[in-house]
Amino acid sequence: MRPQTLDRVVAGDLTADITGVACMALATFDGLKAAAAAGRNLVIVLEDTWWSDNDDLQRLEGNSTYKAKRAFIREHNLVVARFGDHIADMKPNPVAMGMAQQLGWENYATDKNNPVHFVIPSTNLLALTQSLGRTLGSRTLRAVGDPRLPVSKVGVIWGNANQLPSIRLLNTDIDTLLVGYTHEWEAVMYCQDQVAVGMKKSLISLGQAAGEQAGVKYFAGWLKTIIDEVPVDYIPLAEPYWNLNQPTNLISTKI
Amino acid sequence: MREKQASDLSRRSILTAGVAGAGLVAAGTPALGATLTAGEILERMKQNVGGPWRDGGVDHFTVGGPETVVRGISTVMMCTFDALKDSLKVGCNMVISHEPTYWSHPDRLDDIRDDPLYKIKLDYVTRNNMVVWHFHDHWHALRPIDGIHVGEAAQLGWTQYMHKDNPRFYTLPPMTLLDMARQIQSALDARTMRIVGDPAMIVSKMYASYGNFGGITGAAILDGPDCDVMVIGEAQDWDLPMYVQDTMSAGNKKAFIMIGHDKSEQWGMKYCAEWLGTFIKEIPCKFVPIIEPYWNPEKPVMEINTKI
Repeated sequence: MRPQTLDRVVAGDLTADITGVACMALATFDGLKAAAAAGRNLVIVLEDTWWSDNDDLQRLEGNSTYKAKRAFIREHNLVVARFGDHIADMKPNPVAMGMAQQLGWENYATDKNNPVHFVIPSTNLLALTQSLGRTLGSRTLRAVGDPRLPVSKVGVIWGNANQLPSIRLLNTDIDTLLVGYTHEWEAVMYCQDQVAVGMKKSLISLGQAAGEQAGVKYFAGWLKTIIDEVPVDYIPLAEPYWNLNQPTNLISTKI
Repeated sequence: MREKQASDLSRRSILTAGVAGAGLVAAGTPALGATLTAGEILERMKQNVGGPWRDGGVDHFTVGGPETVVRGISTVMMCTFDALKDSLKVGCNMVISHEPTYWSHPDRLDDIRDDPLYKIKLDYVTRNNMVVWHFHDHWHALRPIDGIHVGEAAQLGWTQYMHKDNPRFYTLPPMTLLDMARQIQSALDARTMRIVGDPAMIVSKMYASYGNFGGITGAAILDGPDCDVMVIGEAQDWDLPMYVQDTMSAGNKKAFIMIGHDKSEQWGMKYCAEWLGTFIKEIPCKFVPIIEPYWNPEKPVMEINTKI
């Protein structure tokens, strides 16, 4: 166990009888509905549930969506547990393993037990971006850099990419950095500036769920090997965003 | 460091108050050989923001200092390398930038002093005798209305729909979310906007928070009756966008547009150039648009100038 962690039971009764386990990237209301419909009442997530890193509940007391989501959790006897920090500490890291698997990049990893640096067959930034969009189901992924840039060496920070680790990685041999999310005024700007001084660099921002949820699938697979008594499922989340290239909503509005 | 700059500045402003005053009298016809320093420009900005000038925060010289003689001022959304090049191209060696120069909100240098790109950028600005003022907090604090909000509303053509008592709220003629997104994209030239909501939903009550906006504050506004669509610059996916997704799943008719940080604030810096021009007549004050960093695979573009 980590001495300091955000991992905990976020909602629900720990003594509840578990009918099944649903693993997903974030405990979205949509995701909870899917878990309940499948009869899985333990929900294991990488990230937060209440729309901030630390699930700051005090300021949400009167919020109608908070109340509706809470009521749904109670009514369906759900237990929501955040487990992202400890999943990240597992060896090998399920998120890294699962994302590499989903991309079909296991054999391109420099270190197969920690696949976070890849040498993929030569392509260019545009082709890579298109292929990632298809493989990861991200309709609104965004890239920084020259679309014609030759790309072969790829570094990744799945999920949230902080400023310094991103900058340090962009200064290694990689041609492109894949992230789930990173601030526009930090690593995005840094990469843009690298390009502006003639460095052959690029960055692709995938979106949080697309940029880590294949890792949740891998984790669910591992969990099945230690839990026989109840079913364990991976629940993929729909992308919340659309853009003007594909203006369709994928979020269920039925309660 | 900040304190030292401040005291240099106040000494200088006492010494040069007479000169600056003479410049103002001769507005529009700059005297040959007259010079204006970054410190003098800053002093006039302080007098024109309409509110108190506070210490602390992130506003400071990220490059150069008050003594730099200024030939022209550019206003930019973010002090990217491209923004520096484009500023020089139009004869401006003072850059007034809403966002950082060194890739973090406070322009933190502790961990990047040995960074290769930091050295190149520092060398470029020094070699070209540039000065950069990070103008974030006080531009948001402009009175009577946040300068970013003034400029964005003007660019959208929606100034008349702003609420008088709170300019973050707008009552717009009803339109579909898809229509609204199209209008915003075209007015702000934002090519990688992301939207959450039903494209056919009719929206009218807009709350705008240009730039970065956080989940819990946003949740309270979206939960209220005065906002059916929230328009912001940037947020983390698991924060406000997830809330919007959840409030839709709870049956609420709400929508959300994320413009992208740059285009959500840069038109506020266009207004900043106009504002500066009202009290700096001796040298040009020019808005320099910056390059939107992202593209989507459907519309790839390469706009970044790679020549240094």
